[in-house]
Amino acid sequence: MDFNRLEILDLLEGYQRKEFSPSEVAQSLLTSIEKKDGEIRSFLQVRPDVTLDAARAIEKRSSEIQKLPLYGVPIAIKDNILVTGWQATAASKILKNYVAPFTAMCVERLESAGALILGKTNLDEFAMGSSTENSGVAPTRNPWKTDRVPGGSSGGSAAAVAAGFAPASLGTDTGGSIRQPASLCGLVGVKPTYGRVSRFGLIAFASSLDQAGPLTRSVWDAARVLECMAGYGGKDATVSRSVVPKYTENLNESAFGTVRNLRVGICTSWLEGVDPEVRTAFEAAVEKLKELGMRPVEVELPNVKYALSTYYLVATSEASSNLARFDGVHYGYRTPNPKDLDDLYCRSRGEGFGPEVKLRIMLGTYALSAGYYDAYYGKANQVRRLIQQDFEAAFEKCDVIASPTSPTTAFKIGEKVSDPLTMYLSDIFTLPANLAGIPGISVPVGVDSAKLPIGMQLMGRHFDESTLFQVAYCYERRRGALANAPWRGSKSGAGA
Amino acid sequence: MLSRDEVLKIARLAKLSLTEKEIEFYQQRLGRILTYVEELNALATADTSVVRTIPKDAVAFREDRPIPFGDVRELLKNAPASEADSFLLPQVME
Repeated sequence: MDFNRLEILDLLEGYQRKEFSPSEVAQSLLTSIEKKDGEIRSFLQVRPDVTLDAARAIEKRSSEIQKLPLYGVPIAIKDNILVTGWQATAASKILKNYVAPFTAMCVERLESAGALILGKTNLDEFAMGSSTENSGVAPTRNPWKTDRVPGGSSGGSAAAVAAGFAPASLGTDTGGSIRQPASLCGLVGVKPTYGRVSRFGLIAFASSLDQAGPLTRSVWDAARVLECMAGYGGKDATVSRSVVPKYTENLNESAFGTVRNLRVGICTSWLEGVDPEVRTAFEAAVEKLKELGMRPVEVELPNVKYALSTYYLVATSEASSNLARFDGVHYGYRTPNPKDLDDLYCRSRGEGFGPEVKLRIMLGTYALSAGYYDAYYGKANQVRRLIQQDFEAAFEKCDVIASPTSPTTAFKIGEKVSDPLTMYLSDIFTLPANLAGIPGISVPVGVDSAKLPIGMQLMGRHFDESTLFQVAYCYERRRGALANAPWRGSKSGAGA
Repeated sequence: MLSRDEVLKIARLAKLSLTEKEIEFYQQRLGRILTYVEELNALATADTSVVRTIPKDAVAFREDRPIPFGDVRELLKNAPASEADSFLLPQVME
Protein backbone atom coordinates (compact mmCIF):
# COMPACT_ATOMS: atom_id res chain seq x y z
CA MET A 1 0.00 0.00 0.00
CA ASP A 2 1.21 3.51 -0.83
CA PHE A 3 1.21 5.31 2.50
CA ASN A 4 3.05 8.33 1.11
CA ARG A 5 -0.10 9.88 -0.28
CA LEU A 6 -2.42 9.27 2.66
CA GLU A 7 -3.80 12.16 4.65
CA ILE A 8 -4.34 12.04 8.41
CA LEU A 9 -8.02 11.35 7.89
CA ASP A 10 -7.19 8.38 5.60
CA LEU A 11 -4.80 6.99 8.21
CA LEU A 12 -7.33 7.27 11.04
CA GLU A 13 -10.00 5.54 8.94
CA GLY A 14 -7.58 2.81 7.87
CA TYR A 15 -6.52 2.17 11.47
CA GLN A 16 -10.13 1.95 12.58
CA ARG A 17 -10.93 -0.55 9.87
CA LYS A 18 -7.72 -2.44 10.75
CA GLU A 19 -6.53 -2.19 7.14
CA PHE A 20 -3.03 -1.39 8.33
CA SER A 21 -1.20 -0.60 11.57
CA PRO A 22 0.84 2.35 12.85
CA SER A 23 4.01 0.20 12.66
CA GLU A 24 3.42 -0.58 8.99
CA VAL A 25 2.83 3.09 8.20
CA ALA A 26 5.84 4.29 10.20
CA GLN A 27 8.08 1.62 8.68
CA SER A 28 6.95 2.45 5.16
CA LEU A 29 7.51 6.20 5.62
CA LEU A 30 10.93 5.63 7.23
CA THR A 31 11.91 3.45 4.27
CA SER A 32 10.90 6.11 1.77
CA ILE A 33 12.84 8.73 3.75
CA GLU A 34 15.90 6.50 3.69
CA LYS A 35 15.57 5.92 -0.04
CA LYS A 36 14.58 9.36 -1.25
CA ASP A 37 15.48 12.06 1.24
CA GLY A 38 19.09 12.06 0.10
CA GLU A 39 17.96 14.29 -2.76
CA ILE A 40 15.36 16.42 -0.93
CA ARG A 41 17.19 16.74 2.42
CA SER A 42 14.10 17.53 4.43
CA PHE A 43 15.16 15.63 7.57
CA LEU A 44 18.08 16.41 9.84
CA GLN A 45 17.45 13.42 12.11
CA VAL A 46 15.42 10.22 12.04
CA ARG A 47 15.57 7.57 14.74
CA PRO A 48 13.75 4.58 13.25
CA ASP A 49 13.99 2.48 16.43
CA VAL A 50 12.46 5.21 18.58
CA THR A 51 9.63 5.87 16.09
CA LEU A 52 8.87 2.18 15.64
CA ASP A 53 8.91 1.61 19.42
CA ALA A 54 6.39 4.42 19.78
CA ALA A 55 4.28 2.87 16.99
CA ARG A 56 4.23 -0.50 18.75
CA ALA A 57 3.39 1.18 22.07
CA ILE A 58 0.42 2.99 20.54
CA GLU A 59 -0.82 -0.24 18.94
CA LYS A 60 -1.17 -1.71 22.43
CA ARG A 61 -3.68 1.05 23.10
CA SER A 62 -5.79 0.34 20.02
CA SER A 63 -8.91 0.02 22.20
CA GLU A 64 -8.53 3.78 22.90
CA ILE A 65 -8.45 4.72 19.23
CA GLN A 66 -11.61 6.83 19.58
CA LYS A 67 -10.07 8.84 22.40
CA LEU A 68 -6.78 9.46 20.59
CA PRO A 69 -7.43 12.00 17.83
CA LEU A 70 -3.97 11.47 16.31
CA TYR A 71 -3.72 7.73 16.95
CA GLY A 72 -0.62 6.45 15.16
CA VAL A 73 -0.19 9.57 13.01
CA PRO A 74 3.51 10.16 12.21
CA ILE A 75 4.48 13.83 12.43
CA ALA A 76 7.76 15.49 11.47
CA ILE A 77 9.00 18.24 13.78
CA LYS A 78 11.02 21.31 12.82
CA ASP A 79 14.43 21.16 14.44
CA ASN A 80 13.91 24.31 16.51
CA ILE A 81 11.23 22.53 18.58
CA LEU A 82 12.39 20.39 21.50
CA VAL A 83 11.51 16.70 21.89
CA THR A 84 13.19 14.80 24.72
CA GLY A 85 16.04 12.63 23.47
CA TRP A 86 16.00 14.09 19.97
CA GLN A 87 18.49 16.62 18.66
CA ALA A 88 17.38 20.27 18.52
CA THR A 89 19.97 22.14 16.50
CA ALA A 90 17.95 24.92 14.86
CA ALA A 91 20.20 23.93 11.90
CA SER A 92 23.03 25.86 13.56
CA LYS A 93 26.61 24.88 14.19
CA ILE A 94 26.28 26.49 17.61
CA LEU A 95 23.76 23.79 18.63
CA LYS A 96 25.31 20.88 16.76
CA ASN A 97 24.95 17.75 18.90
CA TYR A 98 22.51 19.43 21.31
CA VAL A 99 20.00 16.88 22.61
CA ALA A 100 16.74 18.18 24.07
CA PRO A 101 16.32 17.44 27.80
CA PHE A 102 12.58 18.18 27.72
CA THR A 103 9.67 18.26 25.27
CA ALA A 104 7.89 21.33 23.91
CA MET A 105 4.32 21.74 25.19
CA CYS A 106 2.82 21.58 21.70
CA VAL A 107 4.62 18.31 20.95
CA GLU A 108 3.71 16.86 24.35
CA ARG A 109 0.08 17.48 23.45
CA LEU A 110 0.45 15.80 20.05
CA GLU A 111 2.06 12.77 21.68
CA SER A 112 -0.76 12.59 24.24
CA ALA A 113 -3.16 12.57 21.30
CA GLY A 114 -1.39 9.50 19.91
CA ALA A 115 1.02 11.07 17.38
CA LEU A 116 4.37 9.47 16.57
CA ILE A 117 7.53 11.56 16.15
CA LEU A 118 8.89 10.73 12.70
CA GLY A 119 11.98 12.95 12.72
CA LYS A 120 13.44 16.44 12.96
CA THR A 121 13.36 18.65 9.88
CA ASN A 122 15.65 21.19 8.29
CA LEU A 123 15.19 24.96 8.53
CA ASP A 124 16.97 28.24 7.96
CA GLU A 125 19.37 28.60 10.89
CA PHE A 126 17.33 29.71 13.92
CA ALA A 127 14.33 30.08 11.57
CA MET A 128 15.94 33.15 9.97
CA GLY A 129 15.24 32.95 6.26
CA SER A 130 12.68 32.33 3.54
CA SER A 131 14.26 29.53 1.51
CA THR A 132 16.01 27.08 3.87
CA GLU A 133 19.24 28.06 2.13
CA ASN A 134 20.45 29.59 5.41
CA SER A 135 20.49 26.15 7.00
CA GLY A 136 23.86 25.51 8.62
CA VAL A 137 23.61 21.91 7.36
CA ALA A 138 22.47 21.95 3.70
CA PRO A 139 19.67 23.52 1.66
CA THR A 140 16.42 21.56 1.29
CA ARG A 141 14.98 21.04 -2.21
CA ASN A 142 11.40 21.51 -3.31
CA PRO A 143 9.78 18.14 -4.13
CA TRP A 144 7.72 19.77 -6.91
CA LYS A 145 10.93 20.70 -8.76
CA THR A 146 14.22 19.95 -7.14
CA ASP A 147 16.11 22.95 -8.54
CA ARG A 148 13.75 25.17 -6.51
CA VAL A 149 13.70 26.17 -2.86
CA PRO A 150 10.89 24.83 -0.66
CA GLY A 151 10.50 28.22 0.99
CA GLY A 152 11.40 28.85 4.57
CA SER A 153 12.12 28.88 7.27
CA SER A 154 10.11 25.68 7.81
CA GLY A 155 11.33 24.36 4.44
CA GLY A 156 12.26 20.91 5.73
CA SER A 157 8.83 20.49 7.33
CA ALA A 158 7.13 21.56 4.09
CA ALA A 159 9.30 19.41 1.83
CA ALA A 160 8.80 16.34 4.06
CA VAL A 161 5.01 16.58 3.69
CA ALA A 162 5.11 17.51 -0.01
CA ALA A 163 7.44 14.61 -0.78
CA GLY A 164 5.09 12.16 0.91
CA PHE A 165 7.49 11.35 3.75
CA ALA A 166 5.04 12.52 6.43
CA PRO A 167 1.31 13.29 6.42
CA ALA A 168 1.91 16.32 8.64
CA SER A 169 4.67 18.37 10.19
CA LEU A 170 5.14 21.18 12.66
CA GLY A 171 6.72 24.44 11.72
CA THR A 172 7.19 27.77 13.44
CA ASP A 173 6.10 31.08 11.96
CA THR A 174 7.66 34.39 12.99
CA GLY A 175 7.05 36.30 9.74
CA GLY A 176 5.61 33.68 7.40
CA SER A 177 7.80 30.64 8.03
CA ILE A 178 4.87 28.18 7.96
CA ARG A 179 2.60 29.83 5.38
CA GLN A 180 5.23 30.74 2.76
CA PRO A 181 6.80 27.25 2.54
CA ALA A 182 3.28 25.74 2.59
CA SER A 183 2.47 27.94 -0.42
CA LEU A 184 5.67 27.08 -2.27
CA CYS A 185 5.14 23.35 -1.64
CA GLY A 186 1.40 23.15 -2.39
CA LEU A 187 0.35 22.52 1.22
CA VAL A 188 -1.98 23.87 3.85
CA GLY A 189 -0.07 25.80 6.55
CA VAL A 190 -1.45 27.58 9.61
CA LYS A 191 0.00 30.39 11.71
CA PRO A 192 -2.32 30.46 14.73
CA THR A 193 -3.29 33.56 16.67
CA TYR A 194 -0.46 34.73 18.91
CA GLY A 195 -1.21 33.06 22.26
CA ARG A 196 -3.14 30.08 20.84
CA VAL A 197 -0.22 27.62 21.02
CA SER A 198 2.33 27.43 23.82
CA ARG A 199 5.84 28.50 22.87
CA PHE A 200 7.32 26.45 25.72
CA GLY A 201 10.08 24.33 24.20
CA LEU A 202 10.50 26.36 21.01
CA ILE A 203 13.97 27.77 20.44
CA ALA A 204 12.97 31.42 20.65
CA PHE A 205 13.60 33.72 17.70
CA ALA A 206 11.29 36.72 18.28
CA SER A 207 9.12 36.09 21.32
CA SER A 208 6.34 38.53 20.47
CA LEU A 209 5.89 37.03 16.97
CA ASP A 210 6.72 33.30 17.15
CA GLN A 211 3.93 30.73 16.89
CA ALA A 212 4.10 27.01 16.07
CA GLY A 213 1.58 25.45 13.71
CA PRO A 214 0.89 22.59 11.30
CA LEU A 215 1.71 21.90 7.65
CA THR A 216 -0.51 19.28 6.02
CA ARG A 217 -2.02 18.22 2.70
CA SER A 218 -5.58 19.10 3.62
CA VAL A 219 -7.48 21.69 5.62
CA TRP A 220 -9.15 19.02 7.78
CA ASP A 221 -5.74 17.61 8.70
CA ALA A 222 -4.41 21.04 9.68
CA ALA A 223 -7.48 21.64 11.83
CA ARG A 224 -7.03 18.29 13.54
CA VAL A 225 -3.34 18.92 14.35
CA LEU A 226 -4.00 22.44 15.60
CA GLU A 227 -6.90 21.43 17.84
CA CYS A 228 -4.59 18.87 19.45
CA MET A 229 -1.49 21.05 19.87
CA ALA A 230 -3.10 24.33 21.00
CA GLY A 231 -3.99 25.53 24.47
CA TYR A 232 -2.60 26.59 27.81
CA GLY A 233 -0.21 24.17 29.43
CA GLY A 234 1.01 26.08 32.47
CA LYS A 235 4.44 26.91 31.12
CA ASP A 236 3.95 29.95 28.91
CA ALA A 237 2.39 33.11 30.32
CA THR A 238 1.42 34.39 26.85
CA VAL A 239 -1.03 31.56 26.06
CA SER A 240 -4.76 32.16 26.22
CA ARG A 241 -6.65 30.19 28.88
CA SER A 242 -9.69 29.94 26.63
CA VAL A 243 -10.90 26.51 25.54
CA VAL A 244 -9.56 25.37 22.17
CA PRO A 245 -12.49 24.77 19.79
CA LYS A 246 -12.81 21.40 18.06
CA TYR A 247 -12.13 22.90 14.66
CA THR A 248 -12.79 19.66 12.76
CA GLU A 249 -16.34 19.35 14.11
CA ASN A 250 -17.54 22.02 11.70
CA LEU A 251 -15.65 20.79 8.67
CA ASN A 252 -18.48 19.04 6.86
CA GLU A 253 -21.48 20.00 4.75
CA SER A 254 -22.61 22.47 7.44
CA ALA A 255 -19.56 24.63 6.71
CA PHE A 256 -21.01 25.58 3.32
CA GLY A 257 -23.97 27.16 5.09
CA THR A 258 -21.71 29.08 7.48
CA VAL A 259 -19.49 30.36 4.72
CA ARG A 260 -22.33 31.60 2.52
CA ASN A 261 -22.71 35.37 2.89
CA LEU A 262 -19.43 35.82 4.74
CA ARG A 263 -17.51 38.86 3.55
CA VAL A 264 -14.02 38.41 2.16
CA GLY A 265 -11.82 41.50 2.35
CA ILE A 266 -9.41 42.23 -0.46
CA CYS A 267 -6.84 45.01 -0.46
CA THR A 268 -6.25 45.66 -4.15
CA SER A 269 -3.38 48.11 -3.67
CA TRP A 270 -1.48 45.36 -1.89
CA LEU A 271 -1.46 43.23 -5.05
CA GLU A 272 0.81 45.54 -7.04
CA GLY A 273 4.11 43.94 -7.94
CA VAL A 274 2.80 40.40 -7.55
CA ASP A 275 3.86 37.91 -10.21
CA PRO A 276 1.11 38.00 -12.90
CA GLU A 277 0.48 34.25 -12.78
CA VAL A 278 0.14 34.37 -9.00
CA ARG A 279 -2.27 37.27 -9.30
CA THR A 280 -4.40 35.50 -11.92
CA ALA A 281 -4.57 32.35 -9.78
CA PHE A 282 -5.47 34.42 -6.72
CA GLU A 283 -8.25 36.22 -8.57
CA ALA A 284 -9.60 32.90 -9.83
CA ALA A 285 -9.61 31.65 -6.24
CA VAL A 286 -11.59 34.71 -5.15
CA GLU A 287 -14.09 33.87 -7.91
CA LYS A 288 -14.48 30.44 -6.33
CA LEU A 289 -15.11 32.07 -2.94
CA LYS A 290 -17.85 34.07 -4.67
CA GLU A 291 -19.33 30.85 -6.04
CA LEU A 292 -19.50 29.68 -2.42
CA GLY A 293 -21.69 32.70 -1.70
CA MET A 294 -19.02 34.87 -0.12
CA ARG A 295 -19.11 38.59 -0.83
CA PRO A 296 -15.86 40.37 -1.73
CA VAL A 297 -15.35 43.78 -0.15
CA GLU A 298 -12.49 46.20 -0.74
CA VAL A 299 -10.48 46.95 2.43
CA GLU A 300 -7.70 49.43 3.08
CA LEU A 301 -4.53 48.40 4.90
CA PRO A 302 -2.60 51.68 4.58
CA ASN A 303 0.26 50.73 6.89
CA VAL A 304 1.07 47.21 5.70
CA LYS A 305 3.61 48.73 3.32
CA TYR A 306 5.71 49.39 6.43
CA ALA A 307 5.50 45.78 7.60
CA LEU A 308 8.91 44.75 6.33
CA SER A 309 10.78 47.59 8.05
CA THR A 310 8.76 47.11 11.21
CA TYR A 311 9.33 43.39 11.21
CA TYR A 312 13.06 43.66 10.71
CA LEU A 313 13.43 45.96 13.69
CA VAL A 314 11.12 44.04 16.04
CA ALA A 315 12.27 40.55 15.09
CA THR A 316 15.98 41.32 15.13
CA SER A 317 15.80 43.22 18.41
CA GLU A 318 14.07 40.32 20.10
CA ALA A 319 16.43 37.85 18.42
CA SER A 320 19.52 39.70 19.65
CA SER A 321 18.17 39.34 23.18
CA ASN A 322 16.99 35.71 22.82
CA LEU A 323 20.19 34.53 21.17
CA ALA A 324 22.35 36.02 23.93
CA ARG A 325 21.93 32.69 25.73
CA PHE A 326 24.18 30.95 23.20
CA ASP A 327 27.47 31.86 24.81
CA GLY A 328 29.48 28.63 24.84
CA VAL A 329 29.02 28.17 28.59
CA HIS A 330 26.14 25.82 29.36
CA TYR A 331 25.53 24.06 26.05
CA GLY A 332 26.39 24.20 22.40
CA TYR A 333 29.58 25.06 20.59
CA ARG A 334 32.58 26.40 22.50
CA THR A 335 35.65 27.77 20.74
CA PRO A 336 38.81 25.79 21.44
CA ASN A 337 41.42 27.40 23.72
CA PRO A 338 39.78 30.72 24.63
CA LYS A 339 42.18 33.15 26.25
CA ASP A 340 39.64 34.45 28.72
CA LEU A 341 35.89 34.48 29.38
CA ASP A 342 35.14 37.36 27.01
CA ASP A 343 37.13 35.67 24.27
CA LEU A 344 35.13 32.48 24.94
CA TYR A 345 31.85 34.34 24.43
CA CYS A 346 32.90 36.29 21.34
CA ARG A 347 34.66 33.53 19.47
CA SER A 348 32.11 30.81 20.35
CA ARG A 349 29.37 33.05 18.98
CA GLY A 350 31.41 34.39 16.06
CA GLU A 351 32.37 30.87 14.95
CA GLY A 352 29.09 29.16 15.90
CA PHE A 353 26.50 31.41 14.23
CA GLY A 354 26.09 31.64 10.46
CA PRO A 355 26.20 34.91 8.46
CA GLU A 356 22.44 35.69 8.39
CA VAL A 357 22.07 35.05 12.12
CA LYS A 358 25.02 37.33 12.91
CA LEU A 359 23.55 40.00 10.63
CA ARG A 360 20.25 39.92 12.49
CA ILE A 361 21.84 39.83 15.93
CA MET A 362 23.88 42.90 15.04
CA LEU A 363 20.91 44.73 13.53
CA GLY A 364 18.92 44.02 16.70
CA THR A 365 21.80 44.98 18.97
CA TYR A 366 22.10 48.27 17.10
CA ALA A 367 18.34 48.92 17.31
CA LEU A 368 18.35 48.31 21.07
CA SER A 369 21.55 50.18 21.87
CA ALA A 370 21.64 53.35 23.97
CA GLY A 371 20.33 56.34 22.07
CA TYR A 372 18.63 54.26 19.37
CA TYR A 373 16.05 52.27 21.32
CA ASP A 374 13.19 54.75 20.98
CA ALA A 375 14.01 55.56 17.37
CA TYR A 376 14.02 51.92 16.27
CA TYR A 377 12.43 49.33 18.59
CA GLY A 378 10.05 51.81 20.19
CA LYS A 379 9.05 53.29 16.87
CA ALA A 380 8.59 49.86 15.28
CA ASN A 381 6.25 48.77 18.07
CA GLN A 382 4.16 51.87 17.47
CA VAL A 383 3.97 51.17 13.75
CA ARG A 384 3.00 47.63 14.69
CA ARG A 385 0.05 49.10 16.54
CA LEU A 386 -0.92 51.09 13.43
CA ILE A 387 -0.84 47.89 11.38
CA GLN A 388 -2.95 46.15 14.01
CA GLN A 389 -5.43 49.03 13.87
CA ASP A 390 -5.60 48.66 10.08
CA PHE A 391 -6.72 45.07 10.56
CA GLU A 392 -9.18 45.98 13.30
CA ALA A 393 -10.77 48.51 10.97
CA ALA A 394 -10.76 46.06 8.06
CA PHE A 395 -12.46 43.37 10.13
CA GLU A 396 -15.30 45.77 10.83
CA LYS A 397 -16.08 45.44 7.11
CA CYS A 398 -15.26 41.79 6.48
CA ASP A 399 -14.93 38.39 8.13
CA VAL A 400 -11.71 37.18 6.52
CA ILE A 401 -9.05 38.90 4.43
CA ALA A 402 -7.64 37.12 1.38
CA SER A 403 -4.30 37.72 -0.35
CA PRO A 404 -1.71 35.69 -2.16
CA THR A 405 0.57 33.96 0.38
CA SER A 406 3.76 34.72 -1.52
CA PRO A 407 4.33 37.18 -4.38
CA THR A 408 6.04 34.47 -6.46
CA THR A 409 6.14 30.70 -6.74
CA ALA A 410 9.23 28.75 -5.65
CA PHE A 411 12.38 30.43 -6.89
CA LYS A 412 15.59 28.71 -7.93
CA ILE A 413 18.13 27.66 -5.33
CA GLY A 414 20.81 30.37 -5.22
CA GLU A 415 18.69 32.95 -7.04
CA LYS A 416 18.12 35.32 -4.13
CA VAL A 417 20.84 34.55 -1.62
CA SER A 418 23.03 37.46 -2.61
CA ASP A 419 20.37 40.10 -1.97
CA PRO A 420 18.78 39.93 1.47
CA LEU A 421 16.14 42.59 0.81
CA THR A 422 14.77 40.75 -2.26
CA MET A 423 14.65 37.59 -0.19
CA TYR A 424 12.90 39.41 2.65
CA LEU A 425 10.26 40.68 0.19
CA SER A 426 8.99 37.14 -0.31
CA ASP A 427 7.33 37.57 3.11
CA ILE A 428 5.39 40.78 2.40
CA PHE A 429 1.99 39.11 2.57
CA THR A 430 2.71 37.04 5.64
CA LEU A 431 4.55 39.50 7.93
CA PRO A 432 1.51 41.64 8.83
CA ALA A 433 -0.39 38.76 10.51
CA ASN A 434 2.54 38.18 12.87
CA LEU A 435 2.86 41.88 13.61
CA ALA A 436 -0.88 42.13 14.36
CA GLY A 437 -1.01 38.78 16.18
CA ILE A 438 -3.86 37.48 14.01
CA PRO A 439 -4.19 33.95 12.51
CA GLY A 440 -3.42 33.10 8.91
CA ILE A 441 -3.77 30.01 6.77
CA SER A 442 -2.29 29.26 3.35
CA VAL A 443 -4.24 27.02 0.98
CA PRO A 444 -3.07 25.88 -2.45
CA VAL A 445 -5.05 27.41 -5.33
CA GLY A 446 -3.31 25.94 -8.37
CA VAL A 447 -0.04 25.88 -10.24
CA ASP A 448 1.79 28.29 -12.57
CA SER A 449 3.00 27.52 -16.09
CA ALA A 450 6.14 25.92 -14.63
CA LYS A 451 3.83 23.59 -12.65
CA LEU A 452 4.82 25.15 -9.33
CA PRO A 453 2.14 25.60 -6.68
CA ILE A 454 0.50 28.92 -5.81
CA GLY A 455 -1.05 29.64 -2.41
CA MET A 456 -3.81 31.92 -1.13
CA GLN A 457 -3.63 33.32 2.38
CA LEU A 458 -6.73 33.87 4.49
CA MET A 459 -6.37 35.97 7.63
CA GLY A 460 -8.92 36.20 10.41
CA ARG A 461 -9.79 37.97 13.61
CA HIS A 462 -7.90 37.09 16.80
CA PHE A 463 -8.80 33.53 17.86
CA ASP A 464 -11.10 33.04 14.90
CA GLU A 465 -9.24 30.09 13.39
CA SER A 466 -12.65 28.36 13.12
CA THR A 467 -13.82 30.69 10.36
CA LEU A 468 -10.51 30.40 8.52
CA PHE A 469 -10.74 26.62 8.58
CA GLN A 470 -14.34 26.63 7.36
CA VAL A 471 -13.67 28.99 4.47
CA ALA A 472 -10.49 27.12 3.52
CA TYR A 473 -12.29 23.78 3.77
CA CYS A 474 -15.14 24.86 1.49
CA TYR A 475 -12.69 26.41 -0.95
CA GLU A 476 -10.62 23.21 -0.98
CA ARG A 477 -13.70 21.09 -1.69
CA ARG A 478 -14.66 23.42 -4.51
CA ARG A 479 -11.12 23.38 -5.93
CA GLY A 480 -10.74 19.60 -6.06
CA ALA A 481 -7.49 17.64 -6.03
CA LEU A 482 -4.24 19.41 -6.90
CA ALA A 483 -2.74 18.30 -10.19
CA ASN A 484 0.78 16.86 -10.27
CA ALA A 485 1.22 16.85 -6.49
CA PRO A 486 4.51 15.06 -5.81
CA TRP A 487 3.13 12.98 -2.91
CA ARG A 488 0.63 11.43 -5.29
CA GLY A 489 3.06 10.62 -8.08
CA SER A 490 4.50 7.18 -8.72
CA LYS A 491 7.96 8.45 -7.82
CA SER A 492 6.78 10.38 -4.78
CA GLY A 493 9.62 12.20 -3.15
CA ALA A 494 11.63 12.53 -6.31
CA GLY A 495 9.70 15.40 -7.84
CA ALA A 496 9.65 16.48 -11.45
CA MET B 1 27.12 52.01 4.67
CA LEU B 2 28.30 51.85 8.27
CA SER B 3 31.85 52.68 9.24
CA ARG B 4 34.26 49.99 10.28
CA ASP B 5 34.26 51.38 13.83
CA GLU B 6 30.46 51.29 14.00
CA VAL B 7 30.39 47.63 12.98
CA LEU B 8 33.12 46.79 15.48
CA LYS B 9 31.22 48.58 18.22
CA ILE B 10 28.00 46.67 17.47
CA ALA B 11 29.92 43.39 17.30
CA ARG B 12 31.50 44.15 20.68
CA LEU B 13 28.07 44.82 22.21
CA ALA B 14 26.70 41.65 20.62
CA LYS B 15 29.73 39.62 21.76
CA LEU B 16 30.59 38.48 18.25
CA SER B 17 34.10 38.09 16.92
CA LEU B 18 34.27 38.98 13.23
CA THR B 19 36.87 38.28 10.58
CA GLU B 20 38.17 41.13 8.40
CA LYS B 21 36.03 39.92 5.52
CA GLU B 22 32.93 39.84 7.73
CA ILE B 23 33.50 43.40 8.93
CA GLU B 24 33.38 44.68 5.35
CA PHE B 25 30.38 42.48 4.54
CA TYR B 26 28.38 43.77 7.51
CA GLN B 27 29.32 47.41 6.83
CA GLN B 28 27.45 47.01 3.53
CA ARG B 29 24.56 44.83 4.65
CA LEU B 30 23.72 46.65 7.88
CA GLY B 31 24.05 49.98 6.14
CA ARG B 32 21.59 48.96 3.44
CA ILE B 33 18.99 47.67 5.85
CA LEU B 34 19.27 50.69 8.14
CA THR B 35 18.71 52.95 5.14
CA TYR B 36 15.66 50.91 4.15
CA VAL B 37 14.03 51.10 7.59
CA GLU B 38 14.41 54.91 7.61
CA GLU B 39 11.00 54.94 5.87
CA LEU B 40 9.35 54.51 9.27
CA ASN B 41 10.41 58.04 10.20
CA ALA B 42 7.85 59.34 7.71
CA LEU B 43 5.08 58.04 9.95
CA ALA B 44 3.68 60.20 12.72
CA THR B 45 3.37 57.99 15.79
CA ALA B 46 3.56 60.47 18.65
CA ASP B 47 0.01 59.60 19.73
CA THR B 48 0.27 55.88 19.05
CA SER B 49 0.64 53.36 21.85
CA VAL B 50 2.83 50.31 21.32
CA VAL B 51 1.25 47.10 20.08
CA ARG B 52 -0.30 44.57 22.42
CA THR B 53 -0.66 41.02 21.15
CA ILE B 54 -0.72 38.99 24.36
CA PRO B 55 -4.27 37.71 24.93
CA LYS B 56 -6.08 39.41 27.79
CA ASP B 57 -6.84 36.10 29.44
CA ALA B 58 -3.24 34.91 29.31
CA VAL B 59 -1.14 36.65 31.90
CA ALA B 60 -1.90 35.66 35.47
CA PHE B 61 0.15 35.74 38.63
CA ARG B 62 1.18 32.52 40.28
CA GLU B 63 3.07 31.63 43.38
CA ASP B 64 6.80 32.13 42.84
CA ARG B 65 8.28 28.82 43.82
CA PRO B 66 11.25 26.95 42.39
CA ILE B 67 10.54 23.80 40.38
CA PRO B 68 13.76 21.78 40.35
CA PHE B 69 14.70 20.11 37.09
CA GLY B 70 14.96 16.39 37.81
CA ASP B 71 18.20 15.35 36.25
CA VAL B 72 21.19 17.69 36.43
CA ARG B 73 23.46 15.11 34.78
CA GLU B 74 21.13 15.05 31.78
CA LEU B 75 21.60 18.80 31.39
CA LEU B 76 25.36 18.53 31.82
CA LYS B 77 25.53 16.09 28.91
CA ASN B 78 25.04 19.11 26.65
CA ALA B 79 27.78 21.13 28.37
CA PRO B 80 30.89 21.87 26.32
CA ALA B 81 32.94 21.17 29.47
CA SER B 82 31.89 20.05 32.93
CA GLU B 83 33.34 18.74 36.15
CA ALA B 84 31.63 17.36 39.26
CA ASP B 85 28.08 18.44 38.38
CA SER B 86 29.26 21.92 37.34
CA PHE B 87 29.97 23.77 34.13
CA LEU B 88 33.68 24.24 33.56
CA LEU B 89 34.95 27.65 32.42
CA PRO B 90 38.30 29.32 31.92
CA GLN B 91 39.67 31.05 35.01
CA VAL B 92 37.90 34.37 35.57
CA MET B 93 39.98 35.81 38.44
CA GLU B 94 43.74 35.81 38.95
